[in-house]
Order: sequence, then structure tokens, then C-alpha cells
Amino acid sequence: MTAANGPQMGVTLYSFTNEWLTRQFELDTLLREVAKRDLGPNIEIIGFQSFKEFPDVSDDFAAYFKDLIAETGLNPVSCAINSDRFMKPGQQPIDDADLVEYHKRQLRSAKKLGFKLARGQFALPAHLLPELAPFCEDIGMQMGVEVHAPMWARHPAVLEYREMYEKLNSPALGWIPDFGGTARAIPPSLLDAARAIGTPEALIEITKEIWAEDGPSYVKAGKLREIAAAKGYEQAHLQACTLSFFILSNNDPKSWAEMVDRTIHIHGKFYGVSDEGVEEAIPYEEILPLFRDGGFTGTIVSEWEGHAYCTADAFEQVRRHQAMCRRILAEAPVAA
Amino acid sequence: MLPVERIIGEEGLSATPRGARLAMRLPWYRSLPFSTVEVAGVTLDGAPVDLADAVVEFDDISFPLAKMGEQTNAFWFVRDSAFLVLPGVNLAADSEHDVSLLLHVNPPYIPGMKRVNPQTATLRVN
Repeated sequence: MTAANGPQMGVTLYSFTNEWLTRQFELDTLLREVAKRDLGPNIEIIGFQSFKEFPDVSDDFAAYFKDLIAETGLNPVSCAINSDRFMKPGQQPIDDADLVEYHKRQLRSAKKLGFKLARGQFALPAHLLPELAPFCEDIGMQMGVEVHAPMWARHPAVLEYREMYEKLNSPALGWIPDFGGTARAIPPSLLDAARAIGTPEALIEITKEIWAEDGPSYVKAGKLREIAAAKGYEQAHLQACTLSFFILSNNDPKSWAEMVDRTIHIHGKFYGVSDEGVEEAIPYEEILPLFRDGGFTGTIVSEWEGHAYCTADAFEQVRRHQAMCRRILAEAPVAA
Repeated sequence: MLPVERIIGEEGLSATPRGARLAMRLPWYRSLPFSTVEVAGVTLDGAPVDLADAVVEFDDISFPLAKMGEQTNAFWFVRDSAFLVLPGVNLAADSEHDVSLLLHVNPPYIPGMKRVNPQTATLRVN
């Protein structure tokens, strides 16, 4: 069991993207399935994935959702919102005022549905935080920016946000780490999916080598594209390999320690937990103790992203992930 | 094909008084404003279809395909099909056709990213 005052477990419905897109579940049946399998009680939902009325949900829908929550006993912790700044491809981003209002619409909806916090994105420029922090405080919501690969504790965008966080010192703002930024390797299951569509082993080897190098992900992805073009590899095979540069990067897992104090929620990103209870790409044994021993008492939602390249059983993967996290969190604190 | 790669919708191809109607699914994990999606091409039995007068229908809204780039506040719910209506394309009921569709997705929070999604299927007119 997770300690009563330590990090709490839950799941994001994003883990079940395959089941959702193929219409195997409706919102009500998916929530009931999560509850039945005891994968909650804490849940995260992407507003623009699961709520048709998003970004402006009606009173009727909110009442329906709250009834579902009451029936299932789930706890709506986090609603993921989006910083859709580039509404017209190839054109200028929308005005700051419009982007702020777009966030307020989503935050109001998240609040109305009973969520406690919202997951934001770095596409929201840090200079707009002074407008959103008091709004969040007024409506009683927190907003955390998702620190997703290629971001990590010392990425320039994170440092810019950190400076603004320190200046505002608002309890409404914080971090939402996504552990994909500190992976030890490309998930073997991702490479197996590339092999399954015929990607040559030589291209996979080049991908692994470049991925492990130092430097920004987009530079490394560009390098892979150049090599693939020169050697004449197929576009589909290249695309299967470059995915690894956008969802994962190889920064230092220990660097999360610098973010624990302002962490309000965690995306437990993972790709495949083995029969022995070990995640194949992200070093949970190194990362979770930092939050456990650093005093984090919020929620870790299991976020299985293998659906980006395969159709494994998401429910079983989430079960394994939660068991792994509970095992690590139950271990004795590391002595200082 | 992964669920997120599917772009020809379950409702397939139908004949309507307004022309042929093709179901399309959004190849992304979340709903997006229609302005960020492009219908880059349709072929019917190997021949390109002129999309100049095509119309997009979604629930109770519709707009010319040529104006889709302006639909910044109309959202394509990721679970639902949108429909591409092709005026002047008249198909016999129950006839079978090879249909190719090409969609581009430009996620509005990832500047510069364009995902290219092709799909071809043999569909019976319903």
C-alpha cells in the first residue's frame, strides 16, 4: 500500500487511448472499468480527449459527470488542458489576450467538473503567468506545467518558468514532472514496433546511438533524418524511429530533485513494465525515492504511452505500473 | 495500422442528395480545432477528386472545405467522424470503390509539427 501521507496513485485515461479511439468504451463505461479494476481512485482526464463539450462544458454535462464520479468512487484530481497557441498553421500565434481567455475557458470547465488542478503546457509563454495565477487563485484551482521531454530541470524554458514562479510565489502554480525526459534508453517495445513494420536493423542501431548522445532532441532527430535520407531509408521506417526523440530524452534522473518542492502532481510516464516489475526505459528506482523522500504528497497518475506505437493491453500495463510504484514507495527512505 | 493512424471513418462512404459523403476520423489522441487539420487529397478509384466545392459536416455544423482553415473555434471531437461531402460525385448504391484519403494534422501546441496521414480502403456505398 502507498503510505497514507506519501504520494498517492492513480491513472490518466490517456493510457487507454487505443480503447477510447476504437470506441470500445464510452466515458461512463471506461470510468466504471477503471473503478472495477481498482486502478484509481485518483484520475486525470485530458479535457480535449474525453469531453466533447470542451473547452466549455455545460451545467448538464457537469452534473452528469459528477454523478458518474459519485457512482464510481473515483477522485477527479487533474484535468489536462492545452495551450493551443498556433491555431492557424504557418501563421502567427494567436494574441496573448486570446490565449489567456482560452486557458480561462478550460480552467472554468475543469473547476466545474470537480477537478482540483489543471495540467498546462510550455506553449503558454511564462510572461502570461501573472495573468493566470490570480485567476486560478480566485476560482480555487492549481495549474501545473507539464515538464515533458525534451524539457527537464535545467532546460531554458523550465528556467524561465522557474524565475517567474519564484517572482509570483503563487500557491496556484507548480510543476507536473513527466518522467519521459529522463529515460535511460529507447523503450525496447518501441524498437520492436519499428522492426515489426520492417525497419532495417542498421537504422535502429543508428537511432540508438544518436539518441544516447548529448544535445537537444530536435538536433539529434535532424541528424537521424539526414543520415536516413543519405542512405535512402523509407519514410515510414524513419518516422517509427524518430518518434523516440519526441517522447523521450536522456537527461539526468536525479535532476528531478530540483523540482520536488513545487511539484503539484506527477505523470508517471511509462512504456512497459516487465514480469519482474521493472519499467523498460525509465529508471523509477532512481526517480521515485526523490519525490518520496522529498515530501511530495500529491498524486502520481500512471501514464502508459505504448499506445503511440503498439496495441498491448493498457489495463494490464497500468496494473503492473502501479504495483511497481507502490513497491518502490514502500521501501525505506534513502539515508541523507 | 494503429487506432491513432486511422483516418477513414467507420461510417464509410455513402450516397446523399448532396453528393458522395466520406467519413473521416481525426488521427490524433485529442480533439483539435478544425483549422489545424488539412484535407490534402482524395482519390476515388485512382482518380483525384476536385475538392474545390467540398463541404465538411460535423454534427449540426457544416462549412466549405476551403474555409476549414478559419474554423479556430469549432472542435473535431476525437471520438467522432467528420464527413466530407463531395458535390457532383454521384455513386450508385451498393457499388464498391477504392478510396484514398490524405489528412495533415498540425497540433496547435507544437509549432512546426505536421503529421501526414494517408489511408486507402475499398468501401461499399451505404
